[in-house]
Amino acid sequence: MIEVRDLQKSYGDLVAVNQVSFSAGAGTVFGLLGPNGAGKSTTISCLSGLLKPTAGSIRVGGFDISSEALKAKAGLGIVPQELAIYEDLSARENLAYWGAAYGLKGDKLKQRVDHVLGRIGLADRAGDLPKTYSGGMKRRLNFGCGLVHEPAILLLDEPTVGVDPQSREHLFELVREEKAKGTCVLYTTHYMEEAEKLCDELAIIDHGKIIASGTLKELRAEFGGNDIIQLSGSFEPARAEQAVTELNGEVLSLDTDTLMIAIRDGARNLPAILQGISATGADIHDTRLSEPNLESLFLKLTGTDLRA
Amino acid sequence: MRFIFVTVRKELKRRFNDPGGLISSIMIPFAIGFLIVSVMGGGSGASIKAGLLITDLDDSFISQGILSALGQDQVADMILLEKVSLDEGDRRINEGDGSGHLVIPQGFGKAWLDREEIALQLTVNPSQSVSPRLIREMLESLLDLGDYLHKVFGGELKIISQSLESNELVGISTADFSTNITDKVSGITGLVFPPVMEVEDVTPQPEGSSFSMGLLMFPGILIMAAFFAANGQSSNFWTEKEKGTLGRWVASPNAFSAFWVAQWFTAMLLTAIVAAPIMLMGFFYFDVSFEKYFTSLAWLALTGPVLFALLSLIQVLAPSRKAGSVISTLIMFPLLMVGGSFFPTETMPKFIVSIAQYTPNGRVVEPLKGYLTGEYGSSGMFSEIWGILLVTLLLVLLTGALSARKALV
Repeated sequence: MIEVRDLQKSYGDLVAVNQVSFSAGAGTVFGLLGPNGAGKSTTISCLSGLLKPTAGSIRVGGFDISSEALKAKAGLGIVPQELAIYEDLSARENLAYWGAAYGLKGDKLKQRVDHVLGRIGLADRAGDLPKTYSGGMKRRLNFGCGLVHEPAILLLDEPTVGVDPQSREHLFELVREEKAKGTCVLYTTHYMEEAEKLCDELAIIDHGKIIASGTLKELRAEFGGNDIIQLSGSFEPARAEQAVTELNGEVLSLDTDTLMIAIRDGARNLPAILQGISATGADIHDTRLSEPNLESLFLKLTGTDLRA
Repeated sequence: MRFIFVTVRKELKRRFNDPGGLISSIMIPFAIGFLIVSVMGGGSGASIKAGLLITDLDDSFISQGILSALGQDQVADMILLEKVSLDEGDRRINEGDGSGHLVIPQGFGKAWLDREEIALQLTVNPSQSVSPRLIREMLESLLDLGDYLHKVFGGELKIISQSLESNELVGISTADFSTNITDKVSGITGLVFPPVMEVEDVTPQPEGSSFSMGLLMFPGILIMAAFFAANGQSSNFWTEKEKGTLGRWVASPNAFSAFWVAQWFTAMLLTAIVAAPIMLMGFFYFDVSFEKYFTSLAWLALTGPVLFALLSLIQVLAPSRKAGSVISTLIMFPLLMVGGSFFPTETMPKFIVSIAQYTPNGRVVEPLKGYLTGEYGSSGMFSEIWGILLVTLLLVLLTGALSARKALV
């Protein structure tokens, strides 16, 4: 349903998105994971026709977003990162307007508005102006405006930024429901746990380029079965790194306070690791053993933390 | 097309959900107008005087009679006469100094006495609307009077004509001549001087003969209402852009130009909504016939949004909302001043008046003023509407093209 090939978007000399390619089908949630400024929102803006790509092609629902813009846009639902709602219109009026913008009218429009109001949990506040809402309620309304016309493809650009945990879970549930209905969802986030919870497929993007992509299982395989050990305390970085190398481990990150290691059979090797690192003069306060996750993968791929 | 309608409805709902903003849009121009009218002497106070330059090439007792008639009593309250040479009169009216220049040609008096064809030459200042009309009407009244004089005293006037060269009456004694005139005056006294009767004390308001300062300012107050409606609607571009709703809008399957057309139509309706109560009060206060109410409102609603189109273009060209606001203020307030929206053109120096006719608000105000003061009928007022609508449409389309290119791509 979404097919992006060699997408490039430049602003003068600045290349915001560089040779990005991916595809996503119906009934899947495709995640674009990356730090702020990585190029996620630019990619979504190109997909929704807000930005004109410098190069490459985008097909949405079988239509080229540049040459068949109106047809392509008809099947799209957008949930922008900012709250793109009218604060001086009630929730019902907001939903009715955006539904009408996509051609809904009469009873069908009314039914959809009522249905969406129920789904986003605002039925009892439907007549109130959003300026009286909490941040989470506004987020949910922002979400509802994107799906009131039952789009086949839903573009969610960091939909949970600034949202309380309860509303976040509510939004996750909405995404899962859309997926179950067969909607193709493109979900951008810089929260690892969201991507891990929701996405069937992922592309990790940094500095405008996709640096890894695949299912979560495929991405974890990048570690070749290694486990992740995270140590907190005080370290002498040079000596600690040498000790890890002697133990056949890989340093993912290291400073004077924390050390993250990728190593095979982490549980079995943990005593030897603790002994080896302590022998370098390190004072270890805390130890965590885990399976590889997206955060450690990002660290491994880029050498830096995922910048929030 | 349906989307335009839906968007206009949405915009109106937004405005009605903010009644404070709507009410202030109505009250501010009304308050400004009230203050200016009060400062300048009130609605029924100061009257405008038409400056009439007269070149008397005839210098006969007939031509002097015309000068005398134009300089008497109530006429003198409306027309300020100044005798000038032909060259000076031509020069000054061409410079816009004066409301009109009347040339009484040599031989006019003799020709009038003999009922021969001869023309008075009147050149009026095209940048003024009311004063030239005053002069024209006054002259037409005088010519009508002359025609009646011929009908009543035709024989006597012929004798006067024949006697001009000899300086004495030809073929009739002075006594008989006087008797004839007295008899005729007595005969028509009943018609000219009707019996004294008790009349109700009313303030005479002969239409078109006297215009108060307030009435001349009234169209300017209305265009201020249009300006306030336009200003709010044009800055909506930034509100939608900052809120992200413009982006959501562009991502919808609708042509971008539809957004601006919807804003234009909204500006029309808002202008009507804001101007309607002000117009109602003004019609009542200035005693303008309510038959003209809806026509005037329609004119303002259709043409006033030319200001919206201009302001929108400024907003779209500006790099930020703040810059847009500053530039709009820098451009629009001088335009409102020069274009006769704060002060009527009748009170302005001639060089500003010559500029006023090229301002968009001047194009809206002057026909409306002419209509309200009775100079034009509605067809006269609407004769220029296509030009204004065309300019508005072009500005809206240009704004749409620039905003699509600049703000989104």
